[in-house]
Amino acid sequence: MPGKPRARTWVLLSIAAAGIWAALRLDLDPRTILPNEGGAQVAREFFSRALSPALTYESAVPVPGASPLLVKALGAAHRTLIFAGAAVSLALCIGLPLGFLSSTIWWESDPAGAESRSMRFLRRKVAPLVCGASRTLATVMRSIHELLWAVMFLAALGASNLTAVIAITIPFAGTFAKVFSELLDEAPRDSAAALRAGGASPVQVIVFGVLPRAHSDMTAYAFYRFECALRSSAILGFFGYPTLGYYIAASFENLHYGEVWTYLYALFLLIAAADGWSGSFRRSFAA
Amino acid sequence: MNPMERELQVRRLRRVRPRRRFVRLSGWALGLLTVYCWFAGNFRVDILGERRLRNLSRFLGELVPYPLRDRFDLRTAVDWAASLLSERGLEAAGTTLAIAVAAICLAGLVALILSLPAARNITSPEAFLTDPRPPRRRVRAAWTAAVYLTRVLLIFLRSIPEYVWAFLLISMIGPSAWPAVLALAIHNAGILGKLGGEVVENLDGRSLSALRGLGASRRQIALAAIYPVALSRFLLFLFYRWETCVREATVLGMLGIVSLGYWIQDARARNQYDTMIFLVAIGVVIVLVGDLVSAIARRVVRES
Amino acid sequence: MSCRASCFTLTGVTVDYGRGPALDGIDLRIEPGEAVAFVGPSGAGKTSLLKVLTGSVRPSGGTVAINGRELHTLSASALRETRACLGFVHQDLALVPNVRVIKNVLAGRLGRLSFPASVWTMLFPPRKLVMQAHEILERVGIGEKLYERTDRLSGGQQQRVAVARALFQQPGALLADEPVSSVDPARARDLIKLLKTVSRERTLTLCASLHDVGLAREFFPRLVGLRRGAVAFDCPPDQLKQRAFDELYDLETHEMLVDAG
Repeated sequence: MPGKPRARTWVLLSIAAAGIWAALRLDLDPRTILPNEGGAQVAREFFSRALSPALTYESAVPVPGASPLLVKALGAAHRTLIFAGAAVSLALCIGLPLGFLSSTIWWESDPAGAESRSMRFLRRKVAPLVCGASRTLATVMRSIHELLWAVMFLAALGASNLTAVIAITIPFAGTFAKVFSELLDEAPRDSAAALRAGGASPVQVIVFGVLPRAHSDMTAYAFYRFECALRSSAILGFFGYPTLGYYIAASFENLHYGEVWTYLYALFLLIAAADGWSGSFRRSFAA
Repeated sequence: MNPMERELQVRRLRRVRPRRRFVRLSGWALGLLTVYCWFAGNFRVDILGERRLRNLSRFLGELVPYPLRDRFDLRTAVDWAASLLSERGLEAAGTTLAIAVAAICLAGLVALILSLPAARNITSPEAFLTDPRPPRRRVRAAWTAAVYLTRVLLIFLRSIPEYVWAFLLISMIGPSAWPAVLALAIHNAGILGKLGGEVVENLDGRSLSALRGLGASRRQIALAAIYPVALSRFLLFLFYRWETCVREATVLGMLGIVSLGYWIQDARARNQYDTMIFLVAIGVVIVLVGDLVSAIARRVVRES
Repeated sequence: MSCRASCFTLTGVTVDYGRGPALDGIDLRIEPGEAVAFVGPSGAGKTSLLKVLTGSVRPSGGTVAINGRELHTLSASALRETRACLGFVHQDLALVPNVRVIKNVLAGRLGRLSFPASVWTMLFPPRKLVMQAHEILERVGIGEKLYERTDRLSGGQQQRVAVARALFQQPGALLADEPVSSVDPARARDLIKLLKTVSRERTLTLCASLHDVGLAREFFPRLVGLRRGAVAFDCPPDQLKQRAFDELYDLETHEMLVDAG
């Protein structure tokens, strides 16, 4: 098929060109990856511990009364999980209604019966504005990274567990809204039309005719987002919150590389477990 | 059938109905997990306490650009914005975009290479069978191990957040652009590699076996049959991940690499909240630009 | 709330989707309890005619009246009440694939329930409704599939679920759009026989569009032939002149050849 992939070839060429531009713009020289002996030394020491994570503390001076390393890692993972779970649940509560408002199914279809003038005005003029406003709100929400929200909340309200959760919730709610509105708009409408023909009200048509066609995709996406939330929650530790990132940063700065790998593996296991559960859920959902 | 018989029949049908146990259990588990998270998280609602509200009102007041605080004047506002842009805004925005582009290109290359060993239909002794005897158990075990090792590696690469990779790499490499690019590349190589592996696995097995029957070598098969079909879907994933890279590149600056995040953190440290919010707004703009470019590119790929 | 057998009156109905009229000046009257078959080549307007009868499609000209009330002057809620009494079986079935059969059947009666009641009914169906659903499913021959997932059923079985959903509405009319198009000939006859028997049992007006004129002739006491959106003939099968029948289909072929040539 000689003529067919031409547009795609252009895309590939543009990607290559963009890559070259980026490399030049950033002065990316492979030789500068390990510029000095100090950095190389750190790299060697760090990566040599990859397969031997620490199981007990590495500091020369034992801290009295501190719980064992593995317990601390478990606690950090536990807190990471809690922040992520709270954030995703809240993001769903906000993102689903917002996504519904951002979709077109609730206002775009032509009503079959006679319509009063005020209803027609609402449907033709007000509803698109509401839909557009929801979409804009969702877009702004998801264009700002959760760390930026966290930084702004730190400045505005000071540190608090709740603000950390909200910082993750906002962009996640925005993406839920976008994905949900797309799923609703693209769901097959035949069952909805059938229910309508049987006399169901518009609300019933949406809830029982459209939602069941979209809900398995939505569930799969929510699981994926939970995995992302685990990562975001871990990074918040770099800003002082008691999740895995905090301990990673602290151990690294104390040069206890084995401990760093312990925490990295803890995070890895947490996410691998979430990923495994998500995969099994998706498979039995579709079965 | 009289009503009694019908009732019994319905009850029996209900008893033997197909049930998705795992789905139901997971549903309950999720509900309990959510409740648990909210209770165990020690979330105090005193964020609206008096001290914090005062903090908040001060913060909101300081969001207004400094030269405009006494009096609003369009010209001053434009001047202030223009000077910020020319000083650091545009440069940082360009750096951010460049980091994202470089990272995704690198990630794409690595992932293309890694997605083959991750696919079970390629990395197996039968895939390119020229020897009609069934493979020995040890050989088969070795191939399966190769697939699983690749997959575990990919999961590890993507479970560590980009921010953590960047943090680790900065200490080894220094504050150039490389830590950011490598961090994003490593993380996304994990994701793209997994998705690429799934795309390759879902390919039509018939064309593969047809080529195999003609005696094609593994590399020839890869070039002729696998890459073209998988490439389009891979490109779609690539652009979708690029959008995320733009967002992450913005934030990685907070570790010291000179992207937008660096100046945002800098402004916050100096309590210059007006500058901070302006730079955040620039970040939103490049994210939107990135989303737009990605949407166009994906439409082109889909239609080709 | 029970529905009486519906009586349809179409006066000068025109339907235009923008690419030329799908229905052009249809005058038709269907008495309560009648069984009518709409025949004609594809594109003749059979589906549009059925959709006009249920109010899914608003005619661009002319009026549609059900039991004497003109459809599109009704308020939204009155229209919903009227449509709750019309059971429509879609050509594509339009079932929700990943839920159990019982939920699809129960969905037929949503029009009679308020929203909170409908949520409760769908989540925790009351015993009486479950019995009724089972009875109807048994009547159409798939009683034991009550709790199966709908997409696990064969095409023919899903077709029956769609019919069951329409019957569960306890409607005054049963309108079926190509109910046997994807069913093998033996099953097709069974299904048509079933539709006819059920309509007679419950005194429903039955309107079915069929592309197999032989089936139509065998089972229906009245045939309405459609060609290019207009009524070509409207008579009992024994009065159907061969010539009229040939014209209906032959002319289409002739026109197709002319267009291609």
